[in-house]
Amino acid sequence: MTRFDDVFEGDELPGREFLLEKDQVRDYARAAHQWAPRFTDDEGARREGLPGMITPGNMSMGLLATMLEAWAGPGSLRRLGTTFRGLLLPGRTIRLCGAVTQRHDETRSVEVDVWIENDEGERVVAGTATLRLR
Amino acid sequence: MPFDVDPQLLGREFDRTEYGPVTADELIAYARAVGATHPCYLEPGPDLVAHPTFCVRYKSRKFYPDDLPTQIDFRRGFDAGKDIELGVPVRPGDTIHVSSAVHELYEKTGRSGAMAFIVIRFTMTNQRGETVALIDNRFLHKLGGGS
Repeated sequence: MTRFDDVFEGDELPGREFLLEKDQVRDYARAAHQWAPRFTDDEGARREGLPGMITPGNMSMGLLATMLEAWAGPGSLRRLGTTFRGLLLPGRTIRLCGAVTQRHDETRSVEVDVWIENDEGERVVAGTATLRLR
Repeated sequence: MPFDVDPQLLGREFDRTEYGPVTADELIAYARAVGATHPCYLEPGPDLVAHPTFCVRYKSRKFYPDDLPTQIDFRRGFDAGKDIELGVPVRPGDTIHVSSAVHELYEKTGRSGAMAFIVIRFTMTNQRGETVALIDNRFLHKLGGGS
């Protein structure tokens, strides 16, 4: 767990790089009541004009929230805003990233830029978050 | 094709939906799917709480109010992003009330022409009236669909 006194503007968060499995996306679609061909089945997604099954934007927010709280501790996340800029395709390696942009001494909170890169280095999800640290 | 926005539309609740009670199994399945590892999100018991983004699974039963401008092409659009402000954690047994209202409605012209942004604000409260999340969901649509 990261303490407020140990954080400085410009710090990069320990990101996470991993293969986003299609089955994990299906597990999410089931758990989040987003079971639809575009999120569960390559053929069904292609019939909708997509290149294959895609990751729900909501799931990308969940992955970023998990990355943020792995750094700051459970219960630290107070706000998360994201823009879905492109398709996040499962079955490929993705990178979850973050960097501290502001510290607020009075509330012991920090603002963080967050983003997800696909395997071609494109930022397909980008946003900001506020975390309260101990 | 610019549109006029009836100021009465903004902030007016157009849907109220109730979900629950939330179960421990639902919370754990959601947390596992987003890779959470902390026991407070995964282990059944008195300390179990929802992962912070759990509430995004809730939405209104009615997607939009009936009186949005007719120039918006509702057949062509996508989810452009969300902002979540977190309140008290969701716990097993909670009932979640979702109140939905149009928060913002504006147009922008980009490379692919005129687009309408519809921001729906979902105010989510539990059975004690405590806010669990405030979610602003931005939807993007082409303009020029209706008459």
